[in-house]
Amino acid sequence: MAILECNELVKTYGHAPALDHLNLSIEPGHILGLLGPNGSGKTTLIKLANGLLTPTSGQVLVNGAVPGKDTHAIVSYLPERTCIPLWMSTRKLLDFYQDFYADFRRDRAEEMLQHLSIRMDQTIRQMSKGTREKVQLIMVMSRAAKLYLLDEPIGGVDPATRDYILNTIINNYDPEAAVIISTHLIADVEQVLDEVIFINQGQVILQSSVDQIREEKGMSVDALFREVFKC
Amino acid sequence: MLRKLMKHEFRATARIMGPLFLIVLVPALAANLAIRFLLDSDVFLPNLLGGLLMAAFVIGMASLAIMSIVLMVNRFRTNLMGDEGYVTFTLPVSSHQIVWSKIIVSTVWFIATGIVEALALLVCFFDLDVMRNIFNSYYFHQALQALHELVKRYGLNVPAIAIELIVFCLLSCAVLCLEFYAAMAVGHSFANHKGALSVLFFFVFQFALQFISGLLFNLDEFQNMFYTGMNGMQDFHQMMAVLIGMELLIGAVYYVVTTLMLKKRLNLQ
Repeated sequence: MAILECNELVKTYGHAPALDHLNLSIEPGHILGLLGPNGSGKTTLIKLANGLLTPTSGQVLVNGAVPGKDTHAIVSYLPERTCIPLWMSTRKLLDFYQDFYADFRRDRAEEMLQHLSIRMDQTIRQMSKGTREKVQLIMVMSRAAKLYLLDEPIGGVDPATRDYILNTIINNYDPEAAVIISTHLIADVEQVLDEVIFINQGQVILQSSVDQIREEKGMSVDALFREVFKC
Repeated sequence: MLRKLMKHEFRATARIMGPLFLIVLVPALAANLAIRFLLDSDVFLPNLLGGLLMAAFVIGMASLAIMSIVLMVNRFRTNLMGDEGYVTFTLPVSSHQIVWSKIIVSTVWFIATGIVEALALLVCFFDLDVMRNIFNSYYFHQALQALHELVKRYGLNVPAIAIELIVFCLLSCAVLCLEFYAAMAVGHSFANHKGALSVLFFFVFQFALQFISGLLFNLDEFQNMFYTGMNGMQDFHQMMAVLIGMELLIGAVYYVVTTLMLKKRLNLQ
């Protein structure tokens, strides 16, 4: 069964369409890049899959179910910006995730936090922007989820932090799960991707494996992206 | 899951309400000492200090009452409609559980605020001549006697009255929360001007409520319910039952609006 499926999915903001009769099906066991220029509908799609937005029409299904309480238990979501409560200390944040998610592996999270020398009594507010993003990512990747939805995980951080984030994703996801990484920084993520979806103006224009692109087109995903979305 | 939501809700709110309670109780003690030693002084400086301490106490009392409402509104806004909403609404819990956790915790804080305010008044006037004079006064004894007469003549059941009033107060607190929640849930379902629309919908709900209540209380059938040859206690019970029933109905409407909006028209952009 597809872990994420969209059927004729439409989302409009006022009169502006963000997703326009979008259809896709994603199987588990892959790291998939959801790639597209700014405003192509990547974040909208991820929010719809998380139930943070309601579709104008059409359907989005996670593991065969409409987004809600049950799908939240199997989806681990990294928003595009830091959304964890700023007043919480690292320890309280760990308590929070442990209380609500049965698949949260606290020992793994603590190990990663220790590796970064993040104090347990330090509040999120006291941390730098980069550290906040790392902490949020650690919480998300410490879950043994069936689907990881990562919205711009490497946007706005320095190259060293990008490497850390990508390594954290690769080393912590369950191989039977699906990881969807939304980004337009393709060169940085290309090395970790198995499959890509190009999205533009709310529609899927390409879904292919990375190997297939290299073999058939004879170019990297980054080069193909630049060609397809040439201004 | 509701229990866990409430646990974290208490954690989030206690860090604000706890210090606020202290901020009221400490000036209450200071006000007590000011009344004892400073306010009667003939010297200007102690007199001024006593006045300032009394003012701090009064401001603290007012601030606590206001802050408990502000906190209830702000917590809903930031935790659900702001960035934190991305975390809250992706928890494996239902929107009903989220709303209930907010209502219960806010109501508990309202009750705690009432208790602390009463406690602060007791601390402020503890063991002072002014209180002794009031309790020993002729008027106070007359009032007590009148109350006894009333209880005897109309067969007033004071514990029953107290319980009904407490239930009504608790319900009113919960309904007040729901009125704010419903207004914010509707206001934030729009793409723009979410804050302004939330305020607008709060007043729209208030207007609709006053309008419908006015129509209802004006009905002859409604007024006759209380004048059908019953005695005083029966009248009171019936009136309280109607008031509690109305609060339940209003609360139910706000609850449905809030949960429906969060479920069907959630719009975290």
